[in-house]
Amino acid sequence: MKRFLLFPKLACEGILKNRRLYIPYLLSCIGMVMMSYIMHALAVSPSLQHMPGGGNAEAFLSLGQLVIALFALLFLFYTNSFLSRRRCREYGLYSILGMDRRSISRIVLWESLIVTVISILCGMGLGILFSKLAELGLMNAVRGDINYRFTVQPEAIRYTLIVYGIIFALLTLRSVFNIRKSRPLELLRSESVGEKAPKANWVLAMIGLILIVLAYWTSIGIQTPLAALVLFFIAVLMVIAGTYLLFMSGSVAFCKLLQANKQYYYRKEHFVSVSSMAYRMKRNGAGLASICILSTMVLVMIASTSSLYFGADDAIRTRFQAHTQLEVRREDPDDISDEKIAALRGQYEQVFRHVDLMPETVLEYRYAVITGMMSGSDMKADSNAIDASIFGYDNLRMLCFVSVTDYNRVMHTQLSLNAGEALVTPIRCTYDRQTIHMGDMQLQVIGQAEQPMPIGEVYTMVIPSLIVIIPDYETIVPLQELVDCNGDQMLDIRWYYGYDFGEHISETAAIAIFEAQKAAALSFYEGGTAIDAGCVFTERNDFYATFGGLFFLGILLSVVFIFAAVVIIYYTQISEGYEDQKRFAIMRKVGMTDSDIRKSINSQVLTVFFAPLLMAGLHLAFAFPFVWKLLQLFNLRNLPLVICITVGAFAAFGALYGIIYKLTAGAYYRIVSSAEQT
Amino acid sequence: MTVLEVNHLQKVYATRFGGSKVEALKNVNFTVEEGEFVAIMGESGSGKTTLLNILAALDKPTSGNVLLKGKDFASIKEAEAAAFRRDHLGFVFQDFNLLDTFTLEDNIYLPLVLKGKSYAEMHDRLTPIAQRLGIASLLQKYPYEVSGGQKQRAAVARALITDPEIILADEPTGALDSRASDELLRLFGEINRGGQTILMVTHSVKAASVASRVLFIRDGEVFHQLYRGDLPNEQLYQKISDTLTMLQGGGIKE
Repeated sequence: MKRFLLFPKLACEGILKNRRLYIPYLLSCIGMVMMSYIMHALAVSPSLQHMPGGGNAEAFLSLGQLVIALFALLFLFYTNSFLSRRRCREYGLYSILGMDRRSISRIVLWESLIVTVISILCGMGLGILFSKLAELGLMNAVRGDINYRFTVQPEAIRYTLIVYGIIFALLTLRSVFNIRKSRPLELLRSESVGEKAPKANWVLAMIGLILIVLAYWTSIGIQTPLAALVLFFIAVLMVIAGTYLLFMSGSVAFCKLLQANKQYYYRKEHFVSVSSMAYRMKRNGAGLASICILSTMVLVMIASTSSLYFGADDAIRTRFQAHTQLEVRREDPDDISDEKIAALRGQYEQVFRHVDLMPETVLEYRYAVITGMMSGSDMKADSNAIDASIFGYDNLRMLCFVSVTDYNRVMHTQLSLNAGEALVTPIRCTYDRQTIHMGDMQLQVIGQAEQPMPIGEVYTMVIPSLIVIIPDYETIVPLQELVDCNGDQMLDIRWYYGYDFGEHISETAAIAIFEAQKAAALSFYEGGTAIDAGCVFTERNDFYATFGGLFFLGILLSVVFIFAAVVIIYYTQISEGYEDQKRFAIMRKVGMTDSDIRKSINSQVLTVFFAPLLMAGLHLAFAFPFVWKLLQLFNLRNLPLVICITVGAFAAFGALYGIIYKLTAGAYYRIVSSAEQT
Repeated sequence: MTVLEVNHLQKVYATRFGGSKVEALKNVNFTVEEGEFVAIMGESGSGKTTLLNILAALDKPTSGNVLLKGKDFASIKEAEAAAFRRDHLGFVFQDFNLLDTFTLEDNIYLPLVLKGKSYAEMHDRLTPIAQRLGIASLLQKYPYEVSGGQKQRAAVARALITDPEIILADEPTGALDSRASDELLRLFGEINRGGQTILMVTHSVKAASVASRVLFIRDGEVFHQLYRGDLPNEQLYQKISDTLTMLQGGGIKE
């Protein structure tokens, strides 16, 4: 009985004695288990499944679950390797004291078992506790119905048990395997292996710098985000490669450069810091680069998902010029002749009268749309746009023709045009040509109309648009000849009817009116695809279901990533601390005062900590123009809002980072100064 | 002129809760004159290390005092101890205590950099010392690239460069092979003839035999001392050996 208890006792003591190492590890394990449980519990949560658009959120969560499981595997392996490296000495001692490898393995097994049980129990417990909170958060984000019933998802418990059972089993296997193949003396000595002086690799450092500059330049230069998605992807890869090179070689090269400057280097404040920095960067360059990339990912993710979420109302406003819009789309101009329009308008108004609610404002106009390809001074009807290579998208333009009468009426202007003349308003592009030539139609561009016609589609479309104001709709009759590869007419003639109730209408009433009018329009033309209709209220629900889920996932994943980054830094610093112990003891003997030591430590830890953060900030700043352009595709137009959110995300991240820095620097200092007593 | 004066030094170590007490130093008295080369000998546990730690201002005595050129160690505040060591004492350790992140040159500069000297001045000081110690060609190397003897010579250079009142050497030959030991001891003799005061703790008879005076410590007290007088190293070696044999026999008392 006694003998049986010896191993668990040794294992417990081992964990307690090394609590500075084990507590963060345990916290990481518990955190990961908790996150996984919450993710899964949310994905299978009945309240999510019962809400409209909940499928979207559910899909995002399932994706997130996979990401977290994979990440947990990598992350826990990484942190565990720190632990086992530190523990090696202890195992070496056991082994010299006459314990065979089997027994050491048993201790390791017990330790793993303890860690596993604690992690899974605490993680699951906290997960169950917080899953309701997370559910409320999610339901709030997707604007779903909230209930306060407390639930436990057996399905999620099973899932978490299986996933983490496997992960912990793998971790244990590795530890035991490490013990099995090692030798006692090596175990004891494993930490005091001499290290060569870092050499600056100038070539790699330069390549890193060039890669990053090139990537930044690419990101800024991108005009049409969709066309340049491939390019941006390349830029991202360049940034990643560049960051690694810069942190691994560039930093050492930079230290060498500082060392070459004797006036700078041989100063009390710089001497020790700069020389140990070179080593530190050589050892930790890769880790810091990873943290930098991870942070950049988190920041971009947070900034874009929250922008989408908080900008949702804006985006919907962009898409919807009015609360409700009904747009008839026909090929035959006769379908929207004055008589037909009058008849349909009559039906719409009948619906209003029926419920005795009249809209505050009504906006209606006709326009025509065709997609063209710019080539020279010509605008070709686009028949093969889809086949065109991605890079060809740059020349694609959507043309919206509006008669000068409609334009004047809607915009309250008094423009006039002669036959064959046109005014253009380029949206997200420029147009400096004098003519528009398309099929048999020839137009003379006599100027630009500054105020764009409020056509929703020019903002929601991916491709740049050109609003062309023409004398009358007779002008574009020749375009009806143009057909695409399927032989279908390309010109699309539309009648837009949009109205606004102002603030004082209930959502259900507005939706009811909208549905009735939509049905009326559909039966009027006896066709299903002829009408593009939408209502802010119905759209908004969909929108929040989609982006609310995305936003929530962004937050959850960010929390995990930040947590991971922090733990990685903590471990790096702690293991550095153990290595620096002896070094600082020597310096103390040679005459370094405590305040000097503190200063030197601060400057080093500060650099190690904040270099990745600053670099991440720089990456974020240069990724911003692209992210902004991408967000515009989601109809986000509020630049100040997006900038605020991005800066806010960075500030919040930085603040969190600062707190962790304080804790870590304290722990590091305690380790280093504990050498004093020896 | 007296450089170092040690009066009635006592050091008692108590276990944490004041249980059993160990008296590492009972009553140590001696003085070191300027230009002397004193060796302190004693077996493990005799209190050598405790004495050296107190002399290095790394530890405080329970009672008694240490005066360096008349200045009482007790008047040095904890926070100033490091600066005091740096400015007045030079150290040579058994395990060299060189920083592996610095070249030998930078290791030697360390105390001066901490003192805030300019590079030009440090460089001027180093050149003759490096020349004399025969490490001028090794200055750009890192500690792991050179031999133990060379490391110890760099450590000696680091101790010398601050021009200290006294050099404290703790088993300087302990980690060296016999050839490197001989070379280092020859250097110590040479440095001492140049006017440098040296206090060396050792249990190597050979190391002690280059000193001008040898103190023997046993059970926390100075038990005996030998003056070189005009004796050559070999004869002093013989005398030290004889003394040690007698000491171990538990014999003479002054």
